[in-house]
Amino acid sequence: MKPFRFTATINGRPVDLPVNPHRRLLDVIRDDLGLTGTKEGCGEGECGACTVLLNGRPVNACLVLAPEAAGCEITTIEGVAPEGGLHPIQEAFLEAGAVQCGYCTPGMILAAKALLDKDLSPTDQAIKTAVSGNLCRCTGYIKIIEAVRLAAAKLSGEGDAV
Amino acid sequence: MKKRGIGVGCMFYGIGNTGMPNPAGAFLDLTDDGTVLVLTGCADIGQGSSTVLAQIAAGELGVNIEDVLVVAGDTGVSPDAGATSASRQTYISGNAVLLAARQAKEVLLEEAAGIMAAAASDLCLRDGHVWRAGEKTPLTVKEVLAACRKKGKLTLGSGWFNPETTGMDETGRGAPYATYSYATQVAEIEVDTETGKVSVLRLVAAHDVGRAINPKSVEGQIEGGCLMGIGYALLEEVKLTEGRIGNPRYAEYLLPMSLDVPEIHAIIVEEPEITGPFGAKGVGEPALIPTAAAIANAVADALGVRFYDLPITPEKILAALSAKGDGSARMGEIT
Ligand code: FES
Ligand code: FES
Repeated sequence: MKPFRFTATINGRPVDLPVNPHRRLLDVIRDDLGLTGTKEGCGEGECGACTVLLNGRPVNACLVLAPEAAGCEITTIEGVAPEGGLHPIQEAFLEAGAVQCGYCTPGMILAAKALLDKDLSPTDQAIKTAVSGNLCRCTGYIKIIEAVRLAAAKLSGEGDAV
Repeated sequence: MKKRGIGVGCMFYGIGNTGMPNPAGAFLDLTDDGTVLVLTGCADIGQGSSTVLAQIAAGELGVNIEDVLVVAGDTGVSPDAGATSASRQTYISGNAVLLAARQAKEVLLEEAAGIMAAAASDLCLRDGHVWRAGEKTPLTVKEVLAACRKKGKLTLGSGWFNPETTGMDETGRGAPYATYSYATQVAEIEVDTETGKVSVLRLVAAHDVGRAINPKSVEGQIEGGCLMGIGYALLEEVKLTEGRIGNPRYAEYLLPMSLDVPEIHAIIVEEPEITGPFGAKGVGEPALIPTAAAIANAVADALGVRFYDLPITPEKILAALSAKGDGSARMGEIT
């Protein structure tokens, strides 16, 4: 198949590379761009390990074909933290003990970010729903839900200070 | 109609491999700048063993955990620690690291005793300092280390631990484990008698872990185990046909997700194990073991029907209820 010119913004940086149109966004991110923080769990839209933000919305990168993402703003886990630091959601995950093996973590953090970008005082039910497409086999989700709650508090605290 | 029930599940679990030698080893080195380097074959698969081993080394040497560097599970450099299984690493590798740290500590204490003209047996290390007869002295561990280096003395340690077990005789008797963990879990559930769906509302999980070296990761393991136990009780079933797995994907093999999470109260019970590092045992597998039993008992409490076959799916519940309704089944007969 003939490659097409894939242009998009990934983590704030423009990318421009030839990509075969049948490739998944996940392959472009992991293999072509080397951003291996995004994980592949199932490859069929069930586990959420491959979650990235596409124009701010969480999507399973394994279900998105590269041409569908062309021209979009894409955020992967590598683009979440400020230079040399951690994002408050990442800090909250560490503080709450919400990371065990870590395989689900990048996807969880992006799913949480998509929620908190819109709603800084989510109910527990809203948090559970926001991460319901992300499977975790280690934590029992309790500390993940706690972490998102904590992150919301951190982020709204910062908001107040401004 | 919705019916509620409460059930209890209890367990004990032998830590380590059954009736077999299953040793673990560790190397430890205090480098010139005070870094404590721990080499262990123990693979951290997310349960937090590298953190726990760092805490054990730091605790024994009286230094900050930030000063400990754990190189784990690299077969090129680390001694064998056996598998990360059987809830054994905190207990077994923990002991190996403790012994390695103790050996290095002896060199430090001997040197400190020389500097202070004291008996090594009166000294201990804590908060990065040497303590004498329970009093903090100004002498730091790093100064003692520097004094060792000045003389060309290295501060190395190695340790290994193999839990004391025996095989079992033909009647199944013996001492197959050196220590056991105990737990009780209580489940509160609600059954929708129209759909057959069981919702777990609340789980209380009390686990005797000897001593929790890292309470947060113990809690995390208990909560993770509880949720896996909910899957085992209600959702997860490998469907085999002639050796082939019929449901190899998440769309068909259902795992609990965030929306299935009940209230979980993890209770850590500490009854120090005398042979454990700082009194610790293990929690990995125990966290999952009593959950399904507690849920099945709660379902029996709610419906008066006992299930002997997992997972307890809505289909099985509805079949059991209709069998019960026409009087063809008595409690205990339905599987
Ligand atoms: S890898 Fe994309 S959802 Fe599992
Ligand atoms: S931390 Fe292991 S899958 Fe979530």
